[in-house]
Amino acid sequence: MALAVVLSAHAQNFAVTAEHLYTMDAGPQGGPGLVLIRAGKIEDVQMGAGIAVPNGYQAIHGAYVTPGLIDAYTSTGVSGAYNIPADQDQDESTDPNTADVNVRDSLNPEDKLYQYVNAYGVTTMQVTPGPRNPIAGAAGIFKTAGPNSPFRTVDELAVRLSSAMVFNLGDTPKETYGSNHKAPVTRMKTAEMIREALLQARQYQEKWDRWKEEKSDPGKRPALDVKLAALAGVVSGKTPAIFNVYRADDIDTAIRIGTEFHLKYMLASVTEGYLIRDKIRQAGVPCLVGAVMQPFEDLQTSNATYENAALLQQAGIPIAIMTGYVGYVPKSRVLLFETAIAAANGLGVEPALRAITISAAKILGIDDKTGSLAKGKDADVVVFDGDPFEYTSHVQQVMVQGEVTYQRGQ
Amino acid sequence: MQRTKVVLMAAVCLGAALRIAFLSPMGVAQTDHDNNVLVFEGGRILSITSPPIEHGVLVIKGGKIVAVGEQGKVQIPAGATVRDVTGKIVMPGIVDSHSHIGIDPNPTVSDSQDANEGSGPIQPALRALDAIDPADPNIRMATAGGITTANIMPGSGNVMGGQTAYVKLRGTTIEQMLIPGTIGGMKMANGTNPKGYGTRGQAPMTRMEEAALARGIFEKAQEYKTKWDAYNKAIAAGDKTAKAPDRDLGLDAVAQILDGKRIVHNHTHRADDVMTVIRLADESHYRVVVHHGTESCDVADELAKRHIGVTFTMIDAPGGKPETINFSISCPARLEKAGVKVAFNTDDPITNSRLLLRSAALAVRGGMSEDAAIKGLTIYPAEMLDLQSRVGSLEPGKDADFIVLSGAPLSVYTKVLETWIEGEKVFDRSNPIDLRYATGGFNVISRYPPLQGGGQ
Repeated sequence: MALAVVLSAHAQNFAVTAEHLYTMDAGPQGGPGLVLIRAGKIEDVQMGAGIAVPNGYQAIHGAYVTPGLIDAYTSTGVSGAYNIPADQDQDESTDPNTADVNVRDSLNPEDKLYQYVNAYGVTTMQVTPGPRNPIAGAAGIFKTAGPNSPFRTVDELAVRLSSAMVFNLGDTPKETYGSNHKAPVTRMKTAEMIREALLQARQYQEKWDRWKEEKSDPGKRPALDVKLAALAGVVSGKTPAIFNVYRADDIDTAIRIGTEFHLKYMLASVTEGYLIRDKIRQAGVPCLVGAVMQPFEDLQTSNATYENAALLQQAGIPIAIMTGYVGYVPKSRVLLFETAIAAANGLGVEPALRAITISAAKILGIDDKTGSLAKGKDADVVVFDGDPFEYTSHVQQVMVQGEVTYQRGQ
Repeated sequence: MQRTKVVLMAAVCLGAALRIAFLSPMGVAQTDHDNNVLVFEGGRILSITSPPIEHGVLVIKGGKIVAVGEQGKVQIPAGATVRDVTGKIVMPGIVDSHSHIGIDPNPTVSDSQDANEGSGPIQPALRALDAIDPADPNIRMATAGGITTANIMPGSGNVMGGQTAYVKLRGTTIEQMLIPGTIGGMKMANGTNPKGYGTRGQAPMTRMEEAALARGIFEKAQEYKTKWDAYNKAIAAGDKTAKAPDRDLGLDAVAQILDGKRIVHNHTHRADDVMTVIRLADESHYRVVVHHGTESCDVADELAKRHIGVTFTMIDAPGGKPETINFSISCPARLEKAGVKVAFNTDDPITNSRLLLRSAALAVRGGMSEDAAIKGLTIYPAEMLDLQSRVGSLEPGKDADFIVLSGAPLSVYTKVLETWIEGEKVFDRSNPIDLRYATGGFNVISRYPPLQGGGQ
């Protein structure tokens, strides 16, 4: 019965009224308002109290309504809930350079956590390879599917494939390989391996460009190298690089490499970002701020602070918030919960919401499709029965592209 | 401002000063010792064992609670130091019934991790107290979360992991931390974790063997206890020829379980594993508390009819290992409805000790009553540790362990402002050093940038 309601909701038009509507578009936030949804898109948004719901729309009401949340960096979908070899597909740690792998080929939308995060309001997420390889592979941006969603293939869920190339610095790569006496054993080597690969990719790109320019004969065609081909997109600025970094000196290394190769890049996790925020601002690098409720698993996260997001944002750095990779129980962080801690520790409610909606969309370059409740964008909507960040509030309903993917109590 | 800076510099330069500051925080009237009487007046008081008092008075002296009551109805002794806490909440210090602070210290580096003695699955002679580092910053972070009492436990890698320690979060030695007169509980575990031996070709490799090993040690202890009981009886009867049986450190501790003096704290997740815990306790007639209890709500009636409590670990998402795959924030609510007493624990480092109030709040999100959730932070865990006569509520004669909150206990926006243990303030959010144990960043205080809005 419940299923029938949900399936029939698929193609429906909705009128969502809210006591506190956060469109995250231009204009005042948090007042009463109405969002009209037709054919999976936002048809119209009207602010104000007591607006009549037009005919032909199914009415939904919430205390708080926000755009669908965007997790800027997570291994949910490739690192499964059971945490057994069968469902761990995030780290190809057989080679420190796996630039040629792509999360597209690991993504499992049927994993319990993929549905779980949708029920806490995430409608879009950038799925990333894990933390082990210095050059880890290509990320992708996908819509989430809730427990009520019919199966959709990875390509149907994709917002953007190969959205970024992930580079890991710090403790984890050297712990992965160094313990087997393989490179990298030190941070020096991690940096060198990345620089060497980027240099080769630049030369590889130049070779191909030259060959194309000279319209040389097919016999002189340069040899194809899938890793260098993937990295060529990074050095040419077509594919953004994401450096996953924790310690301040590792953040500095990322900026050094990014500057040297003129990369289009961003920083993820950024645990000690607050200690080097002036340099981050000067470099003009956006930060995907990591989860703060993670256990203190290693040395590089021992200076984590709940105020990191606020301190970075106050320095004028564009921020999004991310959940990242988790190695043990619980197998994923919850974006809404992590952001709540940031909101209550200096960031404030509206900037916190911004960090997981429109700011995240802008940083990831998907703000033409999602990230705010604005006419023409995807109808990605979350309905709450109270302050979204309050511990005791509930997500009532989640909509992805106008489809109800989660309904509380079903 | 300038003064704050000087204090900060001094603390950072002197290294050990951090610990000294912990013992005797800056400012005035931080202690009720020397028979000072301290009064906290005007706040909303949650005494736990009686209804909330909107404008209350809490009187403490000599580390104990002297009086709790309504403003105007409680006699304030002459010469008392009175603190106005109008607009704030005062509640008992939080009791964490399952923690690894001090034994798995921060930062997590392999040399300092002492919770799991992976050399054999039955380790009743081990004592957590022999491996606890009182200087672990996690302990101070726990006070920033309002925790005053903790059950520090060995890990779950063994079927019988060792004796737990009931401590207050104060002092520089384990002797100062231990609660006088307590011997701790016994850590046991079943399900996934002890099967880690199986991957090395050692027992236990299956749940069957875990249960067999547990059953074996209790049978051995019963035999040991019978010998000692006979010997003690003979001595009492004046038999001077009676020969004392050989002492065994491990069996001594297990015999205390059979004597009802030591409670078993049993890590268990899956419903069938919970039933194995119950079966073993029924067979050997001992007191047990179910720890984690991820699927305990599926056998809630079995727990309720035996009056077995559950101390629940509130994680944010399912999984990380197969036995937690069915995790739900609604489990505590279901246990409550079945009449099972539920406490909340941190299992620090699994959840952080600064956020135990949050665990109770998420249970309310999952349908639990607020009253049961608050009891699950205070009096219920105290009962699960046999400490209810000392801690877990604000009543005359009990230890002066309490916290001052900025607002409603289960709100994300509420801050723990002060934490007091036996009349001594161990955490003060207005102290710039203590603040960094609440937010994180205590290793880098001198470089920590200022937050606009102050972060208070």
